[in-house]
Amino acid sequence: MAEIAVPKAAARRGFFGRFNLEVRGHMPIAQQVLVVSAGILLGLLLSALLLIASGVKPSGLANEFIVAIFSSKRNVAAVLSYAAPLTIVGLAATLAFKARFWNIGIEGQIIFGAIGATLVANSDFGPASMRIVTMALAAMVAGMLWIALPLFLKIRLQVNEIISTLLMNYIAFNFLLHLLYGSWKDPQSAFPNSKLFDDVERLMPVGWQNLNLSVPIAIVLVLCVAWLLGMSRYGFLLNFVYSNARMARAMGVRIAGLTVLFALASGALSGFGGFMISTGIESRLTQSFFIGYGFSGILIAFLARNNPFAVAFFAILIAVLMVAGQSLQVFYQIPFAMVQLIQAIIVICVAASEFFIHYRIRMVG
Amino acid sequence: MDFLVNWLANVPGFAVPFALAALGLIVCEKSGVLNLGAEGYMLAGAMAGAGAMLSLDVHPLVALGIAALFSALLSLLFALLVITLRVNQVISGLVIVFFAQGLTALIATSQGWTNRSFSGLGELNFGPLSTLPVVGRIFFQQDIVVYLTVLVFAVTVHVLRATHVGMRLRAVGENPEAADAAGIPVGLYRLGAVVVGCMLIGLAGGYLTVAVSKIWVDGMSGGRGWIAIALVIFARWQPWSALAGAVIFGCIEALIPRMAAIGLQLPQYFVLMLPYVVTLGVMVWTSLSASRHSGQPGALGQPFVREERR
Repeated sequence: MAEIAVPKAAARRGFFGRFNLEVRGHMPIAQQVLVVSAGILLGLLLSALLLIASGVKPSGLANEFIVAIFSSKRNVAAVLSYAAPLTIVGLAATLAFKARFWNIGIEGQIIFGAIGATLVANSDFGPASMRIVTMALAAMVAGMLWIALPLFLKIRLQVNEIISTLLMNYIAFNFLLHLLYGSWKDPQSAFPNSKLFDDVERLMPVGWQNLNLSVPIAIVLVLCVAWLLGMSRYGFLLNFVYSNARMARAMGVRIAGLTVLFALASGALSGFGGFMISTGIESRLTQSFFIGYGFSGILIAFLARNNPFAVAFFAILIAVLMVAGQSLQVFYQIPFAMVQLIQAIIVICVAASEFFIHYRIRMVG
Repeated sequence: MDFLVNWLANVPGFAVPFALAALGLIVCEKSGVLNLGAEGYMLAGAMAGAGAMLSLDVHPLVALGIAALFSALLSLLFALLVITLRVNQVISGLVIVFFAQGLTALIATSQGWTNRSFSGLGELNFGPLSTLPVVGRIFFQQDIVVYLTVLVFAVTVHVLRATHVGMRLRAVGENPEAADAAGIPVGLYRLGAVVVGCMLIGLAGGYLTVAVSKIWVDGMSGGRGWIAIALVIFARWQPWSALAGAVIFGCIEALIPRMAAIGLQLPQYFVLMLPYVVTLGVMVWTSLSASRHSGQPGALGQPFVREERR
């Protein structure tokens, strides 16, 4: 293995004797995958212990997570229908993070995307045959609008986008409540929902159960993002910028323009994700349709290390977790918050495992 | 006049959580550790405070102590990630928020603490002082934490500015390599700053449940942790400016229920957006009025690895 030896500083005295932290040069990809997989396994193990501690029988664990899901066509359909929007938001986070724009406002963009789509549906805008496409476009535009302000503030005024995008989530949520408790409330429903979408306002059914076009669309989008990042000139320029920003600037690469491009694409994808959840799963706008997606999108992008194919893989993993979480809720009265906690535990373990990619501990004496 | 007095009398209660959280963040970040997990620590403190009141039936001040301790416990996980394992501090902070959201909802639901009200912290009794016109309502009908907050600020400012510990802490945050060369244990100082800072943030969260709402609801910190982070940037890491900022946000939050009380017909959800919109405005204002020195600690967000020094 090619490793650059870094001169050692004085060894420090710890509880375990003297040890040194050694900086690794570069770890081969295969070995990195191994380390990260170990992190994921550790996370799953800790989660399993947590579930057992909260009353799930160890034998029931395998049953809930593997047998119950993959032996029933219905549950596989449920997993796939969650995995599709999760993939979309994971890709959205990937695009933004690739351009070093911390888009933590995916949730707000999901909300606005769904609002945009519902606006088209409510007003019966355009010909019925094109309705669903119009809704998708409106969702993407709405998502882009919702990221535009933090993006502008970041580029022009260096306002920290982590906080500004996050604040936009709370604003979007309150606006959603304003609509759902106000003019958009379905008078026939006891809950603050918009009225059900018509048939022309839903995605075409494909496959079995309640599966629809969302899965094929997600697959196509994975390929599109893979092309954008891996083969297009924009992806190439982005890699250039982040391997040597000064060189790129000297060569006339417009760094701000690239950030704008990728961040807007991220907003558009998040908005599209909102469209997919509202029309593909809920068939209406509700006050809670978005919960968990924004957060999961960010975690998926982190776990996948911004690789679009890995995004799809982790989206399926999280979708399995969500479906299993629902049955745990029914059969063991375990709150759904467990699903979020497990995701966080897995990410913490993976983040911790990266330590071993960058450093090596060497015992001295 | 009545409106004004009612409004101002409510300001301290709303300002305290912002003030304590911002102070905790300043302590933590002065040591060079970027702490984006404030929202998570506030949730942890709020849940622990409510739980202590409901299940242990302790004095409200003890419940606040438990809130701070629980938050400190959670901060050890964060410290393990960013100080020992040198994980990216942005990712670590965010994942702590997600972790705390899940953990608090899980514990509170399984213990049956959600949506159960309790009698929390009451006001101090100043006798005749509290019946003074105007002044009495605003200054002498508050709970003890309001007064303690000012004291905590004074002590913290003194420690940071004028003691050995404080100066070393700032050295670690400005230039860890130099501090290390001078023999200051960088990791230890950062650990201390993270734990103490997060205790203050947890206290802020505990105050939300124990003294203000007297009830726990999932996710009830409602973005106050994020607003506190913005406040710290606005205050350029100066504790007294942060306190002033917290009072401004206290005024805004106290105004919301007041406007409804006097029968002002405003779209409710737009009014609820107000704190977030104002925070955005404050951030824009901060960056527009950028002086040459933002006050940001020099090594903020950078892990220290002795063997990586150049």
